[in-house]
Amino acid sequence: MQWMENTFFDHLDKFSNSLGYENFGVAFCLSTVGWKSTEERDTFIRSITGADPKGGE
Amino acid sequence: MAGNQNSGGANGGPQYSPMNVSATGGAGQSGQAKPNYRGFKYGENKKLAEQAGGARMATAPTPPPAPQVPAGQAPQGGNDMSSLQGLLSGITPINAEGTDTSVPVSHGVDFGRGAGSEVLPNSLNSDRRQIENVDLIKRYMPDLINASRVQGAPDSYKRFVNFLKSQVI
Repeated sequence: MQWMENTFFDHLDKFSNSLGYENFGVAFCLSTVGWKSTEERDTFIRSITGADPKGGE
Repeated sequence: MAGNQNSGGANGGPQYSPMNVSATGGAGQSGQAKPNYRGFKYGENKKLAEQAGGARMATAPTPPPAPQVPAGQAPQGGNDMSSLQGLLSGITPINAEGTDTSVPVSHGVDFGRGAGSEVLPNSLNSDRRQIENVDLIKRYMPDLINASRVQGAPDSYKRFVNFLKSQVI
């Protein structure tokens, strides 16, 4: 099994690290969204945080 | 010829026309229909007529009196606004001086005089969102841990899962 992008866990990694661990509930809900691509998700993160997405490293 | 041909009996006036229907629902002379009961047993026709005549129709409710506007002051926005102003005039602002001087009115609020929200009971002070998050973590923790063991899982995700573990334990 390999870690894959544009999956629920990948979204959770990006949202939790971008929004902050304390906002786990919001990050979890946003991770269940069927994002068309990682670019669309990252654009959304930039729009609500004003910064580049964190996580993935 | 004894009498007029129109005297007595039906004269063919508009009251006999079945098409003569009042558009307002019937504004008769008495305001209440008086049915002409016939065909019942002897004496019952009169009894029914008396009952019908004795029953009173419900009268239209009288509208409530309009609130009084002080002399020299024009009503603003109709009755609703004036009644709202009257209602608001009786409210005491939260920063007003209270009658009980031993406890400030802002006691339990995070501004003004007195203690802050830390003195409130836990039932009013608990962070429900935090509780819901912990429930969510407990439910999905096994899957989240399994995903952290997947080959290529980023360290940022593993750190996040470790943080969640610390929240649950």
